[in-house]
Amino acid sequence: MRLFRLLFYYEYLHFKAARGLLLLTGLLLAAGLYGIYYGTAEVARQRQHLAELPDLGRHQVAELQTKFPGPADAGDIGYYHQNYALHHPTAWAGLALGQRDVNPYYLKLRLLGLQGQLYASENVNPAKALSGNFDLAFVLVYLFPLLIIALGFNLLSSEREQGILPLLLAQPVSATQLVIAKLAFRLAVVLGLGALLSALGLYWARVPLDGRVGLWLALGGLYCLFWFGVVLLVTAWQRSSSFNAVALLGAWLTLVVLVPSLLSVYVAAARPVPQGLALTIQQREAIHSGWDRPKDETMRQFFAHYPQYRDTTTIRERFVWRWYYAFQYLGDQSAAPLARAYATGQAQRHALAQQLVWLSPALSAQLSFNALAGTDLPAHLAFQQSATRYHDALRALYYPFLFDKIPFTHADYARLPTHSFTSPTDTGAAWAGLGQLLLSVGAVYGLGLTMLRGRAITPR
Amino acid sequence: MVRSIAHKEFLSTLRDRRFLVLSLLVLALLLAATLVGRRGYVALQAERAVAQETVNEQFHHQPGRHPYRVAHYGTFAFRPRAALSFLDNGLDSFTGAVVYLEAHQQNSVNFSPAQQAGSLIRFGELTVAFVLQTLVPLLLIFLCFGAFTEEREAGTLRLLLSQGVTLRQVAWGKIAGYSWAAVLVVAPALGLASILLLSGEATASSPDRWARLALFGLGYAVYFFVIIVGAVVVSARASQSRAALVTLLGCWMLGCLILPKATANLGAGLFPAITKAQLDAAVHEEAQHGINGHDPQDRRAAALKAGLLKKYGVTEEKDLPVSVAGVTMAEGEAYSSRVYQQHFADLTRTYERQNALSTWASLLNPYQAIRPLSMGLAGSDFAHYVHFQQAAEAYRYQLVQHLNGLQASMGYGDKERRLDASTWRAIPVFTYQAPPLGWALPQLALPALALLAWALGLSWLGMRLVDRSTTG
Repeated sequence: MRLFRLLFYYEYLHFKAARGLLLLTGLLLAAGLYGIYYGTAEVARQRQHLAELPDLGRHQVAELQTKFPGPADAGDIGYYHQNYALHHPTAWAGLALGQRDVNPYYLKLRLLGLQGQLYASENVNPAKALSGNFDLAFVLVYLFPLLIIALGFNLLSSEREQGILPLLLAQPVSATQLVIAKLAFRLAVVLGLGALLSALGLYWARVPLDGRVGLWLALGGLYCLFWFGVVLLVTAWQRSSSFNAVALLGAWLTLVVLVPSLLSVYVAAARPVPQGLALTIQQREAIHSGWDRPKDETMRQFFAHYPQYRDTTTIRERFVWRWYYAFQYLGDQSAAPLARAYATGQAQRHALAQQLVWLSPALSAQLSFNALAGTDLPAHLAFQQSATRYHDALRALYYPFLFDKIPFTHADYARLPTHSFTSPTDTGAAWAGLGQLLLSVGAVYGLGLTMLRGRAITPR
Repeated sequence: MVRSIAHKEFLSTLRDRRFLVLSLLVLALLLAATLVGRRGYVALQAERAVAQETVNEQFHHQPGRHPYRVAHYGTFAFRPRAALSFLDNGLDSFTGAVVYLEAHQQNSVNFSPAQQAGSLIRFGELTVAFVLQTLVPLLLIFLCFGAFTEEREAGTLRLLLSQGVTLRQVAWGKIAGYSWAAVLVVAPALGLASILLLSGEATASSPDRWARLALFGLGYAVYFFVIIVGAVVVSARASQSRAALVTLLGCWMLGCLILPKATANLGAGLFPAITKAQLDAAVHEEAQHGINGHDPQDRRAAALKAGLLKKYGVTEEKDLPVSVAGVTMAEGEAYSSRVYQQHFADLTRTYERQNALSTWASLLNPYQAIRPLSMGLAGSDFAHYVHFQQAAEAYRYQLVQHLNGLQASMGYGDKERRLDASTWRAIPVFTYQAPPLGWALPQLALPALALLAWALGLSWLGMRLVDRSTTG
């Protein structure tokens, strides 16, 4: 143990003297701090926008009340009044922004057909989206391995190349002890930095202190451990520093860049989702055919879904709102199979990606972080479902006004339902990711230690 | 002498097993990316073409309807992908595929591939441009990092110089040799791309595409030249091979990975854009109450009606030869479109400001010069996307105004009547003409100049550094 402490201490002295490494560690610390700042600022901006939406709604109600000073036809109100479905971020979202920048975080809904409104997108700068988010998860998943590589690529090879290794091994210390002490010191530096940044990030984002904190730290820690395992593996190979650098960088390139980008192309090709465009066309066609169809036919079809309104008066007017909203609803119904297929297709895409993440620990870590933060595709699909239920609630409120011909008074605006949805946290997916990381860690260390035992360290 | 050094470097590169394996790997990735990219391109293109065809048919086969109904029925504009975008996806994964064109409002372009994918897509997609921009430089770094250091470590550099060559000549010889090796790796993929382009569509012979492809190739040639010269210069200045390699890898990470993301995020943070809800509310407000806030819609409509009555010298609306509703609608559309255009231009300017930081960073980072250049030539950059949005909006506006004009000409009591089904068949459908190369080039001036500046600067300044580097 004393020996270990001694080796550890000398590694510390070594590290303190290496200006390049100190600079690199400092840079990573700065990158992490910027990542925390950027991610939380982005989420704060989204929160601010979400908070402003009810004001926009109130402003619009005031406008409608001026436009319709007395009791109004509910059909007019339903046509003009904009309701907002809000997708609030979790406190974690700032640490792993995921897809929250490309998917809209609110939807403007009117009483019209839902399918024409559900897929509206938010203003997004595509060039920014392409470059991606510089959040804490990015720093941990992309940049931490690079620090680990920089710290570890010459773990034994530099001593060998400088001719110190024979001297070192002449002391009463085994090569394995040496490697483990060196790794332990670097591990302490990296894990310390990761823990510091995570703690700052968690504090800054004001996450609730529950089991997810442990899960996040475990994910980050295991991911770093994995990369140290790769370093161990390459060290056990006993080649030159240049070779080690190339091999480690090759591993990084393969696991962090190539495998994910190949998978991305594969998943998109294996699970195509053409239903998006199809359902948009279908819904418009179905709604607009409502204008040309005999009114009693539309109403008959509608009453099949809503028998409670069957007894309402027959429509003789040229235009009446309840008929208009009936064919809006029927338009949604006719697009419903396609809409379901579209949502299922996207969910299957995500499921396929989840099945394949074990191919790269970087994927496991990133997707687990996103699942924990509720910023991935399933959270958005859940929001869309929630918005659909909100639209149902709106229709449920308006239909009695429309079919029973109740005038819509100023007091009735207050009865309109509001919507709020907060991203769900998928701890199941995060646990699964943790399991995969654990397996990969076990595999690299098993292999690395076996190789280290199997081939004695050559001093030259 | 330079030629024989080049020849020697070229031959020894080919004999190097490590390089052979790596370059075969990169070549395989390049060819795979070309084929996969082409397949994805054809699939998406077909999906959108079929959809566009369907909605065009639907528009032309409408029954007798009132033109106002048709304006609300509207149509869709599907964004066709640019011919060369199978080489560089550019922003295409993050820009929408379809926009609904209807009266009164400008809708968002929806269904971008990124919205239909999980966060996997944020790791990047394997495209030809990705391989050329990030992986080939890495290969070149592995190829060149030992150019001088290995000769020095083996003591052969002094021998070489004793033959009467200068350091600069050695450097140029090596650069020439490595360049030939790079050509061997990249040329087959570009050849395959040309064949695919030739065999692709009936319009493949368009000179615009070939010019774009040629410039695409030329741009990457300059980019690779910059990387090779840079790597050789670093190798000449470095004390050891290891130091050269670590420096070059550090530059690669900074340039290909960290800087692009950091500048994009910084730009977005500095110039926040407004949300769609804010934009819509502002457009609504100004259209309702007038751009100056003192010209409400009702008053504008009343003035318009009074003007019509005066113009035709009648006192009753029913005596007018035109439909007041149609004329009012046309005026309202013109007004709100003008308001919308202003806000849309503001938003686009904000995005351009956000992106400007990245574009200027091209002076610091050759990767950020080739990236916009490549996607600009492939037709998948921001400017091309905005061009589509504007074309779709221009079509929407003229379609709606045409329909409003039809309604106006129906005269008083138009609401009781419909226009014949043949009316809709006479209306031209939306066809998108992608902008020509001449339109795209001026916007690519900065990155192109930055890349050239890198090439010239390294050839001049870098070589002066080589001159002054140590020999032994």
